[in-house]
Amino acid sequence: MKPKLSYTDAFEELQSIVSDIEQGEISVDELSEKVKRAAELIRICKNKLSATEEDVNTILKELDTAPDEEE
Amino acid sequence: MPEKIDGKSIFSLYEVSRSIQKTLGERYSSSFWVKAEMNKLNYYKHSGHCYPELVEKKDGSVIAQIRANLWRADYIRINDRFLQLLKEPLKDGIKILFEARISFDPVHGLALWIMDIDPAFTLGDLEAEKLETIRRLREEGVYSRNKMHTMPLLPQRIAVISVETSKGWADFGKVLHGNDWNYTFFCYLFPSLLQGDQAASAIIRQLNRIRKVKDHFDVVAIIRGGGGDVGLSCYNNYVLARAIALFPLPVITGIGHATNETVSEMVAFSNAITPTKLAEYLIQQFHNFSVPVQEAERRITEWAQRKIVSEKDKVQSLIRSFRYLAENTVRLHYSEIRNLSGSLKQEVKFRMKYEKDNLQVSRQVIGKSAGNLCRQAGSAITNCAAHIRKDSQKQLVHHNLIVRQLQQKLSVHSRLAVKEKLLLLKNVEKNIDNMNPVNVLKRGYSITLRNGKAVRSGDEVNPGDIIHTTVLSGSITSIVQQSIKPDHETET
Repeated sequence: MKPKLSYTDAFEELQSIVSDIEQGEISVDELSEKVKRAAELIRICKNKLSATEEDVNTILKELDTAPDEEE
Repeated sequence: MPEKIDGKSIFSLYEVSRSIQKTLGERYSSSFWVKAEMNKLNYYKHSGHCYPELVEKKDGSVIAQIRANLWRADYIRINDRFLQLLKEPLKDGIKILFEARISFDPVHGLALWIMDIDPAFTLGDLEAEKLETIRRLREEGVYSRNKMHTMPLLPQRIAVISVETSKGWADFGKVLHGNDWNYTFFCYLFPSLLQGDQAASAIIRQLNRIRKVKDHFDVVAIIRGGGGDVGLSCYNNYVLARAIALFPLPVITGIGHATNETVSEMVAFSNAITPTKLAEYLIQQFHNFSVPVQEAERRITEWAQRKIVSEKDKVQSLIRSFRYLAENTVRLHYSEIRNLSGSLKQEVKFRMKYEKDNLQVSRQVIGKSAGNLCRQAGSAITNCAAHIRKDSQKQLVHHNLIVRQLQQKLSVHSRLAVKEKLLLLKNVEKNIDNMNPVNVLKRGYSITLRNGKAVRSGDEVNPGDIIHTTVLSGSITSIVQQSIKPDHETET
């Protein structure tokens, strides 16, 4: 399985596709592939905006077990 | 009056106390201004009075200490003025400039009776403390440390330091979770006091807890609100401000007040002032992410559609151009072929005629040339024949002459040769004749023989041998008397 794309990477890649497009660096041959990729990146970004995976139980467990850390 | 016992004047405790009270009363008849540190306020809720503990320190040690009285009415009036001006109540650990009188009570002893406190002095002192905190943080190079963090593109997981029941926390949650864009945030509350003397250490404790699970969070939010704008000088506390500055995650503050910014807010990554504003700040971060995404979606869609249309147009235009060109080319070639075939027919006709003419001329030329050639050849042959005849006669004559000359030469030469040979022969004959022994004998020579053999040397004969000597006419037989032998070799 592909490593999960972080939303920061997704965002940056999306921006780079837009900039490529605006500088006319994408040919019609790449069109379908790029648009498909962009759609995937947009989906990842939009998902991230409306979902979070943090689990309270994990945090509580770590709060109890982790050693005190001083600055 | 003192009693006299055994010659001693003895005072009662009350008398002494009264005396001190009287003396002090006379000596300190008017009020005066004193500056001191109010170590403890010692407010008694029940009576409403305060019994502050005043100290003066030098190099960390107490060098003077006096108890004070602050009566209920004075306390209320002074505290109100403090809240107005300092946004801080009268509290432990502040420096105060106060108007007082010496009070001595026989029961309660010596005390300073605080009549008034100048809030401006305390304000200056708090301000000085704030400035000192800033100075120290700058000096240590940690003042801007938290601002150097990069805010994650989506500050989605928020560690909140607040009070569960506070209005600020409620406001924050309402704005954050009720957003119109379906943005999702994850908040986890780390409860803490947020104002007053205990706040600084409580907040630091929660920061330390968050540090343990910092990987689960993008940002720390300190949220306070609804508790009035008092008791916030804790946020100028050096230890707290330093902890915030050095925190490994961006810390944003929404402490909610109208007075000057505290040091904690200054060193925080961002100060949103109120909890509502802080929630809006986070939503804005989401917008900053979401808007470009939407914009990208719009632009890519638009661009792709435009690109497809434009490519289609290009193809259409190409097809048109191609058809036009093809038709044109066919037409052009057709007419060219027609022209060419016309030209070819013409050319062929012309050529045929030309060749026919040529042929005619050639035939005539050949006819003429052949006649000429035949005649030339005939005369050449005749010439040759004449030449041959003439030459052969000439040759014949010439050769005859040579033969005749040779015949003459041959007869002369042969005669000469015969004569020469005859001469030679005669000489030879003469020589041969000379050699004849008869001729030799004629000249007086003789030949001696022994046993029929010619004797040539003396040693061939010995005395007593019979030898025969032949002379020209006749012969002599003799006996050898003596023979002389040659000395060395045979004599000839």
